Amino acid sequence: MALKQELPSDVINTPIRKRVTDLDHAGGDTGAMQVFASLKDGNVVLDGPVGCHVMPAVAVINYTDSVPYLQNVTCSELSENEVTIAGTLPALKEKVGRANVPGRQVFIVSTPVSELIGAAWTTTDEGVKGSPLFFNSQSLDDDEWMARDRSLLFLWQNRDHFVRPADAPPLPVHARPSVNIIGPTYGCFNSYSDLAEIKRILAGIGAAINVVFPFEASSYDTARLSDARATVLMYREFGKSLAREVGLPVFYAPFGLEETTEFITGLGAALGLEAEAAAFIAAEKKSTLAAWHDIWRSTHSDFFANSPIAIIAPPSYKDGLERYLGGELGLPISYSAYRTGPESAPSEDVRAALCDASPSPMLIFGSINERMMIAQEKLPSRFYQASFPGAVVRRATGTPFVGYAGAVWLLQTVCEILFDTLFANLPTSYAPPQKAQKPTAEIMREGHDLTSDGSKGQNSVIAWTDDAKALSEKTVKRVPFFVRVSVTKKLRAEAERIARERGGIVDIEIVEEVVAAYRPR
Amino acid sequence: MSKQPSSMCPAFGAIRNLLRMEDAMPIVISSGDGCMYGHTFVAHFYVANRPIFSPGVSSQMWAKGSVFDELRDMVVEMAEKHQPSLIPICSLCVSDTVGLPFELLPKQIGNTEIVYVPLPAYSVHTHAKAKDIVVDSLVWRLPSQRKTRAGVNLIGEVFPSDPIRIDEVLRRIGTHVNTTVPGPRWADYVAMVDGSLNAPLHPFYSESVKRMKMKQGLPFVEGAPVGISGTYSWIKSVGEALKLNPAVVEAVAAEERDKVVAAMGDYPLNGLTFMVAGYEGHEFLLVRLLIEAGAKVPYLSTSVNTNPLAREEEAWLRERGCTVLYGANFDNEIGALEDHPYDCVIGTTPLCAHAKELGIPSIYYTNAMATRSLMFAEGASDVLSLVMSTYRSKARYDKIARFFSEDGVPKRTYTSWAPTIDITEHLLANAAAES
Repeated sequence: MALKQELPSDVINTPIRKRVTDLDHAGGDTGAMQVFASLKDGNVVLDGPVGCHVMPAVAVINYTDSVPYLQNVTCSELSENEVTIAGTLPALKEKVGRANVPGRQVFIVSTPVSELIGAAWTTTDEGVKGSPLFFNSQSLDDDEWMARDRSLLFLWQNRDHFVRPADAPPLPVHARPSVNIIGPTYGCFNSYSDLAEIKRILAGIGAAINVVFPFEASSYDTARLSDARATVLMYREFGKSLAREVGLPVFYAPFGLEETTEFITGLGAALGLEAEAAAFIAAEKKSTLAAWHDIWRSTHSDFFANSPIAIIAPPSYKDGLERYLGGELGLPISYSAYRTGPESAPSEDVRAALCDASPSPMLIFGSINERMMIAQEKLPSRFYQASFPGAVVRRATGTPFVGYAGAVWLLQTVCEILFDTLFANLPTSYAPPQKAQKPTAEIMREGHDLTSDGSKGQNSVIAWTDDAKALSEKTVKRVPFFVRVSVTKKLRAEAERIARERGGIVDIEIVEEVVAAYRPR
Repeated sequence: MSKQPSSMCPAFGAIRNLLRMEDAMPIVISSGDGCMYGHTFVAHFYVANRPIFSPGVSSQMWAKGSVFDELRDMVVEMAEKHQPSLIPICSLCVSDTVGLPFELLPKQIGNTEIVYVPLPAYSVHTHAKAKDIVVDSLVWRLPSQRKTRAGVNLIGEVFPSDPIRIDEVLRRIGTHVNTTVPGPRWADYVAMVDGSLNAPLHPFYSESVKRMKMKQGLPFVEGAPVGISGTYSWIKSVGEALKLNPAVVEAVAAEERDKVVAAMGDYPLNGLTFMVAGYEGHEFLLVRLLIEAGAKVPYLSTSVNTNPLAREEEAWLRERGCTVLYGANFDNEIGALEDHPYDCVIGTTPLCAHAKELGIPSIYYTNAMATRSLMFAEGASDVLSLVMSTYRSKARYDKIARFFSEDGVPKRTYTSWAPTIDITEHLLANAAAES
């Protein structure tokens, strides 16, 4: 018996490969870069090889944020010379020197390679205001969310380091109580729309916006965070550390009607704008939410109780969607799981849960990972993107998930997917009608010799064997309730067509054949 | 107040069944683009991803009388080119009013049957009636009954797996399902000449049944195997009509009835009051199920008109405190919403919208119920679980109703010319007086 040879690469690659297939998050260097590059005056130098730059700042960013490439990001272009002989400092210094121009704050971000070889930033101008700052992204250990959280805190800790240039726009003077919005950075799913909705709500209650951090801020605005009266935190995944240090009352971006109402009322109270908040809610019911109420009262919502969904996303979206779609709208949640962070469900668990769900979720909110599972496992579920990874364009600000407008958008989206599911399962697809084989008189002369037991009756109902029936029922039960009637029809028609062609009854082999060939769309 | 029963364009009831036929190419002579747009819109939502054919119509064409010429050319061309088994000519309001000489169309071209289906929607009135017209028009084309025949002809649309289930039960008592109409193939209709018993499962196939009686002289069994007593008595009736072994029939009927009883045990609706309003014609069967499961249904509102086939079903409901309102309309139903504390509404679109406004859980009859299996134990479970899950979302509906109300009390925004009396009581009184 030949010894099974275990290649070293098997041992090394197996665990890595397993994670890589369904990875749900980027690394710390990416997260840090996405924070610092969001600053209007930020220049980011990644201390790493070209790939560590091009991948996140050119390739990926194009499909998460639809930005062709981040112009304010570069890298030290480490090669084997720097890694093995020269060290990274000379190369890094050269790039930092070129990036360090007046009016720009340089952030040097470590990458796995630089961390691995223990590269560090040493400089003579340490402590000089406005000089390049080094951030250890701990990319070998931290994920993008942890890195975002630490990067934001890092900015606050260095708030006195940043220089406000002479030609900077004048400091805003707010006549009305103002609010910070913390969270929007590059690579946050749907952040453009969600930010727009939060801004719309703040404007609606008459609050001013102090700083949108970091997305619409410069580094020197960091210190101004404490000028506000409250903070809106967009995500639960990161930003908490900064918000805690800033020390203002924190409000999380809300999902659904109830939470949004609480959010507005709470903010109103914190800002002394109670009357404005109440008036805004009342006005919204007649404007933005009129659509919501109309859809809710339409027949569309009848399907909700029988349209199970699954939600697989980072905590803010997973919990938010679950509270709104499950709690408020009443769609049964057949499965939900965190992806990202310490509680991230292993991808194999997600796959098993989605495959075992009966009925299968009509709709799965997730990332491209779940989308691929749907395809690979031939699940009859529809997919709607609710997180990264996965290529998507979400730059138009009309697709919020949060706030009242988000409640309307999600409600509309769910309904549209219901309709789409219905369309995909319509019983007849366009094809020329079946041709008449014989004149009516002849059909009658011949009768229908299709009975299973040879009884003398003419029977256009083809008999099914018990196991064929059982398999058919089992298959149909996996299909979302909403389209079960159509799928049942299709399955029955196809099985009987084959039986008719073969001149027999419907047995389990025929049903297996039909099920194997079935495509939900 | 609207005088007509509440229904979307009645003709659609016919068009949807014809479009579902795999070997038919329906031609719809629409009353104009608006009419056509409506029918294609709902057809592509509810029925099938396939085109509807129509001769172009315009006021000029009507004036010149050229519509018929175009129609005839179309029919010939379609029959020759595609050779479908059937080309039904659906003549809607305008064409049927103008009165095209349909008798001048060929009846057959090659193997293709050409059948005129009169659908002047303004006088068809209901969806259900239109379905009746289709079955009637198609069956009328067939010759009279064959001499040797066996099996049961099911008449009425059912859940796709229903005929298989019914067939299974019938085989245990010594017969079988012969065919089901409306069916997906012309051959399903042709097969009717082979059956020895007609079983209209829904009470609105009255016109078809009348003419079938004239033509075929077959026995008929009314009702459907729905609910406890319905299942039992339907199986018994089939057995009696076909003179099958009474002991075997009794045993099977009792067994199936007991299965329904067991299934219903899982969904006790005791003490809940339902409002049911539909325009499909299946409403009777649903109400039967609800009542047997313990629910109170003060009245059934149906757009179907009173007809002999419904009499027995109606009597059954009446004995159990449910009055049937034929040819009902929206205003009646919406008005009645406030008269009684309904726990759940299964009704038409506007009725449900207003019920939701008041915080009453509700579902649209047609989408949620009409194509669901109601039969035997499985059907009872299917439907009752849906009803229960709808009712259980009461708190959710309440919350939303309060949110959108101005003073914390759900507010009715509907205004109608309906009288401000207790309409339910009023209608019940009227019905009692009539009977």
